[in-house]
Amino acid sequence: MKVAKAITSVVIALSLLILLNTKFGSIPPLAKFLDPFHGFWKNAESKTKPKKENLKLAGLRDKVEILFDEQMIPHIFAKNNYDLYYAQGYITAKDRLWQLDFQTRYASGRLSEVVGSKAIELDRYQRRMGMVYGAENTLLKMERSPQIKEMIEAYADGINAYIHSLKPADYPIEFKILDYQPEDWKPINSAFLLKIMSATLTGGSDQFYMSNILNKYGIDVVKELFPNYPFGEDPIIPKGTKWDFKPINIPQPPTNAPEGTVYHQTTKQIDEGIGSNNWALSGKKTVSGYPMLANDPHLNLSLPSIWYQIQTISNDVNAYGVSLPGSPGIIIGFNTNIAWGVTNVGAAVMDWYRIRFKDDSKKEYWYNNQWNPTKPRMETITVRGGKTIIDTVYYTHHGPVVYTDNLQPKNFSKCDNIPTGHALRWIAHDPSNDIETFYLLNRARNYTDYRAALTHYTAPAQNFIFASVDNDIAITPSGYFPLKWNQQGKFLMDGCDPLNDWHGRVPADQNPTVKNPPRNFVSSANQRPTDATYPYYLNWEFAGYERAHRINNRLSVMTRANVDSLRNLQNDNYSIWAENVLPTLLQAIDPKSLNQTEAKGFELLKKWDKYFTAESIAASIAEMWQKMLDKATWSDKFDIPNMPMRYPSKDKLVELLLREPNSKWFDNTKTPQRETRDDIIRTSYRLTIDTLQRKYGPISQQWTWGNVKHTNVPHLAKITGFGSKFLNIGGSKLSINALNESNGPSWRMIVALGKQVKAYGIFPGGESGNPGSFYYDDMIDTWSNGKLNELVYLKSKDEPCKQIIAKWEMSRK
Amino acid sequence: MLFLLIIVTCLILQFFLPWWIIGIITFLFASWISKGAFQAFCSGFLALFTLWVGMGLVHSIPNNHLLAGRIGQMLTLPGQNYNWMIVLFITGLIGGLVAGFSALAGFYCRKAFERSTK
Repeated sequence: MKVAKAITSVVIALSLLILLNTKFGSIPPLAKFLDPFHGFWKNAESKTKPKKENLKLAGLRDKVEILFDEQMIPHIFAKNNYDLYYAQGYITAKDRLWQLDFQTRYASGRLSEVVGSKAIELDRYQRRMGMVYGAENTLLKMERSPQIKEMIEAYADGINAYIHSLKPADYPIEFKILDYQPEDWKPINSAFLLKIMSATLTGGSDQFYMSNILNKYGIDVVKELFPNYPFGEDPIIPKGTKWDFKPINIPQPPTNAPEGTVYHQTTKQIDEGIGSNNWALSGKKTVSGYPMLANDPHLNLSLPSIWYQIQTISNDVNAYGVSLPGSPGIIIGFNTNIAWGVTNVGAAVMDWYRIRFKDDSKKEYWYNNQWNPTKPRMETITVRGGKTIIDTVYYTHHGPVVYTDNLQPKNFSKCDNIPTGHALRWIAHDPSNDIETFYLLNRARNYTDYRAALTHYTAPAQNFIFASVDNDIAITPSGYFPLKWNQQGKFLMDGCDPLNDWHGRVPADQNPTVKNPPRNFVSSANQRPTDATYPYYLNWEFAGYERAHRINNRLSVMTRANVDSLRNLQNDNYSIWAENVLPTLLQAIDPKSLNQTEAKGFELLKKWDKYFTAESIAASIAEMWQKMLDKATWSDKFDIPNMPMRYPSKDKLVELLLREPNSKWFDNTKTPQRETRDDIIRTSYRLTIDTLQRKYGPISQQWTWGNVKHTNVPHLAKITGFGSKFLNIGGSKLSINALNESNGPSWRMIVALGKQVKAYGIFPGGESGNPGSFYYDDMIDTWSNGKLNELVYLKSKDEPCKQIIAKWEMSRK
Repeated sequence: MLFLLIIVTCLILQFFLPWWIIGIITFLFASWISKGAFQAFCSGFLALFTLWVGMGLVHSIPNNHLLAGRIGQMLTLPGQNYNWMIVLFITGLIGGLVAGFSALAGFYCRKAFERSTK
């Protein structure tokens, strides 16, 4: 009896130990996680930081000092570039180790290794899209530049020095939740980071929808509804700017018409526009007489923050700005002499080619009137708690055949717009050395240096804006733009015909650019880069002109600009869309025909100043109305089962609303009578009010735009509780302050050049990536209030500065 | 006595060894000096409950319970501003249960051993 009791009690105690040390699904090993000596409690950081730390690190060449300001932003003073990027790696890892690890795993298709089978399709997708292939090509090119090779290796050495200093109890909390360990950082991971940016910013393609539209409605409808040149325009390079180069020959398109295959995947509406803005003012327009530059890149916001602020000082550089964890150097920033920033270009750098394989073995494909061999590439996906998967991807000279019919996963939204049996030609696969551009910009002194830096840039194409203390301003849409015939790649292409290939590139020095234009400012907001006189085809569609138009309207009347005038412009919630269409929409409505709620909404809209502020109820109605109008006009024509298509752009609908009240496109083909514009306006208005009422009850505080939009910044892995609180703020997709639920300005910066450069900036988060740190989201309130912090730009490590709260000294071991 | 031995030894050894060392320590001490099943379980439970709650507070107080609050949200615990207390209680409970059952096992093993040597 006693033995039985002993055995039973030992079994219970042991089972408890094993159970609480095991991960079940997404639940971490409980006791291991809760143990206050090693588990999550260890990640709870104290508010007070040690004022001084001394570190002995292997591999450093000389002494490095890091000063921290009140936001815990590091200011690194190194004596050479190796030490500088070593320290940047070390300090980035200290604050963002899990983010570094997770991003790399995401990009390289290695998430299944840590989260198990639920990530297999995502991993497979990344591998099949050629992310690893592209990163390998990029690394080879980076390593050919001695200074970049040293830079990425120093950065890796620094990250690894930090990783090796850790005990499991010190790991960032996400490692404890997901129950895995950080691994050593490799230089190729810096290439993976750039591939993620390419995938985010150039990874969309709607050729597949466009081909279906072409098949269903023919070329005339495509020309009418999906024109190559938009109705509203305000290009980046001011209209009428002369091109001072002799263009090279434009290739000829093939003579045969695009083919008539129908593609049957389910559809996913592509989100229009990303929302980034930048502008630079010449000294003629500023109060100081020196140029000013502003930039706010928009991305899907997340915590840990996308950006990491840093000041980097060594023998040949003193730059301040934001870096991307994973890439050494500064991406957007300034130094004593210049400031620079970026917005996305949205050029057509991703094309799909239909491949004719000889047989099911996929060993050969037809191209240029003969069979050509494919190159198989094995992708090995290790799965935690499961069987390793070996996936074979066939590469043609175009690129990888991403999905063949039997491999396309059914319920995986990422590949909804990928045509099966097509090869992908994508700029992200090409060798590139984009980091060199940033390395040189960090050190640039003038316009010539800026132009030289841009020659190295490939992808994702960006509008590089520039201002210098010599009173030069400039903007250059930069990147590798494939040389194409007009509208090449608007539809899926036949991969057999060499005429459909990319024909080299637009020469880098013939990329659109403008320096010191007569209007005394330059700007961009993801819109079309040029007017129709530019000789090369870049894409048929860009983000709408609304934000750019508002920026240009405001800047052209601005004189004696100061930081506040530019800050107010960054936070501008005014909607050009509403200005354009609202009068037309309201005139169609007969107030007498409305019920009480509809009438109240109508009154609010009539009085509305067209600003998407957090308190505005009219803004909520307008936004919903716009969606309903879109649907009411296009749904019967473009939402057809088994034939995924997309809607024409927002601008196209605006054009029809304003100019063609009797357009046939307003007729709902599913009803016997013929509808006109005004019918569509009336029914969509009723539906708008009805939808809002069903969701938020009668008109009240619940209807305010801040509440309806519900902005928040989620955690990178969507862990509940690790995101931001709800932020009651304004902004809209088509305003300069292009803020949606969680897509918005990931960094706002204003630089005032001068004898002493002064700069201001903020991002929605904090320097630390630790949800248990006070510096995880300490800047978020300042950001959501539309304020900026003055940035601490140090000239020397010994200059007295009240904002410096801690100092680290690093020396070689 | 048992309570004190467990709490002091665990406090010291936990700095160096993984969490499951608490199971081994409580088992060994209980098989050495425990007086009865109930006393063994309670000493183990209370020792580790106290130790883990105390140590949790050591980390959490300078942190204003910021992280514990986030963990509370992650575990979808109720109590907006006080959910960190529930997290702390669960922490103590888990540590306590492991130690309690290990102590119990230690006690019963001693009993079994006593009989076989009689």
